[in-house]
Amino acid sequence: MSTVSAVNKPKFDWVKLAFSAWGVVVFIFLFMPIAWIVVYSFNTGRILTDWNGFGLDGYKSFFQNAAPRDAVMVSLGVAALSALVATALGSFAGVALARRPGKWSGAFLVLVALVLVTPEIVDAIALLPWYVLLGQDLNITAFNSGWVRLIVSHAVFSTAVVTLIVRARLAGMDESLEEAAGDLYATPTKRFTQITLPLMLPAVLAGGLLAFTLSLDNTVISSFVSVQGVTPWPVYVFASVKASLRPEIASISTLMFLLTILVIGLVAVVLRRGGDSSSGIAATMTGTG
Amino acid sequence: MTTDTVGTADTGAAAPKASSPVRNKRRRGAPKFLLALPAWTWFILFFALPVGLVLLYSLGEQVSAFVQKPDVSPDVWSLDNFDKAIEPEYMPVFWRTLKISIIGTFICLLISVPFAYWLATKVDPRWRGLLLGLVLVPFWTNFLVRTIGWQLILSPNGLVSDGLQKVGLRDDPLALLYTQTGVQIGVVYNYLPLMILPLYVAFDRTEPALREASKDLGASRVKTFFQVTMPLAMPGAIAGMLLVFIPLMGDYITPVLLGGAKGNMAGSLVAGQFLETFNWSQGAAMAVIMIAFILAALIVAALLGLLLRAGLRANRRITLPQATRS
Repeated sequence: MSTVSAVNKPKFDWVKLAFSAWGVVVFIFLFMPIAWIVVYSFNTGRILTDWNGFGLDGYKSFFQNAAPRDAVMVSLGVAALSALVATALGSFAGVALARRPGKWSGAFLVLVALVLVTPEIVDAIALLPWYVLLGQDLNITAFNSGWVRLIVSHAVFSTAVVTLIVRARLAGMDESLEEAAGDLYATPTKRFTQITLPLMLPAVLAGGLLAFTLSLDNTVISSFVSVQGVTPWPVYVFASVKASLRPEIASISTLMFLLTILVIGLVAVVLRRGGDSSSGIAATMTGTG
Repeated sequence: MTTDTVGTADTGAAAPKASSPVRNKRRRGAPKFLLALPAWTWFILFFALPVGLVLLYSLGEQVSAFVQKPDVSPDVWSLDNFDKAIEPEYMPVFWRTLKISIIGTFICLLISVPFAYWLATKVDPRWRGLLLGLVLVPFWTNFLVRTIGWQLILSPNGLVSDGLQKVGLRDDPLALLYTQTGVQIGVVYNYLPLMILPLYVAFDRTEPALREASKDLGASRVKTFFQVTMPLAMPGAIAGMLLVFIPLMGDYITPVLLGGAKGNMAGSLVAGQFLETFNWSQGAAMAVIMIAFILAALIVAALLGLLLRAGLRANRRITLPQATRS
C-alpha cells in the first residue's frame, strides 16, 4: 500500500481533475435556469424576457395584486390540508406494512408502486372525469368544490410517499422495544403512543413535510382538476406563461422556490436527527430508496 | 426470539413476517392490517377506479363538440378512437415522444455516470453531503419554474443565442425555443437529478476495497471501472433509467413550454384533447396508447438488457457478488 502511494504521489492526477471539472460543469447546468429565474425576477421591464433594468417591480406587483396573492394562499391551504390527510393515511398504512405484513402487503405495495410510477398526466386526465362523475352524476356535491378536488388529488401521490417512508423507518427497527413494553403490561394504546409513535415520528414528520411540498409544487394534476376561483399558484403561472410572461411570474417563482427549499432543508434536518445517512436522506427525498 | 432479532437487523421487513403468527397469538390486540384499510380505500377510490374509467372512456364516443362527457354506453363501444389516434396526424407524435425519451434517458445516463461516480468516490467526504444537497435543490424546484428558466435561456434573445453571437460562432439569432432540440435539452435537464441520485446511492454502496483489489491485481483504471465498479452499480443505473424514462414519456409541461408545434409530445397531445378539443374519449384512447408505448419499450429494454448481460457474463472470467437492491 505504502509503496503504491509513494509511486503515485509525484504524478499529478489528471483523471481526478477531469472528474472535478465535469462535476463543476454539471452543477452549472443544474443551477443555470434557477439562477436565470432569480435574476430576471428583478427585471423592471414589462415583459420577462426583455431585460430592462434592476428593480423590485416584479415583487411589488406580486404583493399589490390580489390574483397572485390569492393563488399562493390557495396553494398553502391545499398543501397543509392534503399533507394532513396523506400523513394520517400513509402513517397507518406504513405501520401496518412494517408490523403486520401478510398476503395483502404484496398487492398493496404493487398498488403503491403503480401510484408512484404512473405518469402524472394519466392521473390528471383520470381524475377530471372522475370528479365530474362523482359531483354531477352521483350528486356528491363536495367534489364540485375546487378545494376538495385539489386536496384529494394531491393526497393520492403523497400518501404513497408517506407510506414508504414510514414503512422503511419501522422496518429498520426491530420490534423488541414494543415487545418489552407489552411484557411490562403496557396497554396496546400506551405501547403505541409511548413507544411506536416516538420511534416513527421523524419519518412521519419528514413524510408530512414532503407531502406539503409535493402539493405546493403540483402543476399537472392541479391544472386539470382545479375549478375557477380556486387557483393554486403553479396553475396561475402556467396560465400566464401561455398568455405573456411578466416579471411578476419570476418573482412568485423565486419566493415559492425559497419556501420549498426551506421546507426541504427542514426534512433533511428531521431525517438527520432521526439517524439517516446523507445518501439515505437523498434516497428518501426522491423516492429512490 | 433471539433468532428473529438477529434476522431483523439485516433483512429488514422480511424477518418480522416469519415470526408474526407467534406474536399475533400472544397479543390479543386488533389486527393491525386494518390500519392500512383507509389507504387501500383511498387508492382504489382516487387512483384505480379513475384510471379504470379512462379505459372505459377510450371505448366511447364524443356526443357533440360542445359536450365534454362522452357517451360510454356499451352499444356505442368501438375502437374508433384508437383508429383515429394512429392516423398520420397523430402517430408521428408518439414515435417522436419515444425518440425524445430514449435519447433523453441515454444523455442523462452519460452525464450522470461520471458525475455520480465523482461525487460518491472522489469528493472529500466532508463536502459530499453538501454537494448532494445541491443536487436536490433543482429536483425540488418547481418543474414549471425550471422550464420557464429554460425558456428564458433558449429564447432567440436569451443566453445561448446571444452568447454564441458574441463569441462569433453565429451571425443571426439561434432558434432553439419551440424546436425538438429545445425539448430535448429541457427534458434532459428536468429529469437529470432522477438519474444522478440512484446512481450516487449505488456507487456509494460499492466497497472501495473491491476497486483497490482490482487495481492491486493489475487492472487499469478503465478496466476496473467497467469490470468491477459499473457492474456493481447496475441496479442504480437501471433504477435511474426507469425513473427518467417513464415520467419523460408522459411529460406535458416541457413540450408545451419549449416545444411548440415542432416539439409536440404525447402528453401534450392527450392534454389538448381534454382541455382544448373537449374530446375526452379521444384523449383517453391516446393516453392508453401512450401507456402501451411505455410498457412495450420497457419489455424490449428488459429483453435487450438480459441479452447484454448474458453476453458480458460470457466474456468475463470472474463473477462478482451482486450489489444489494434497496
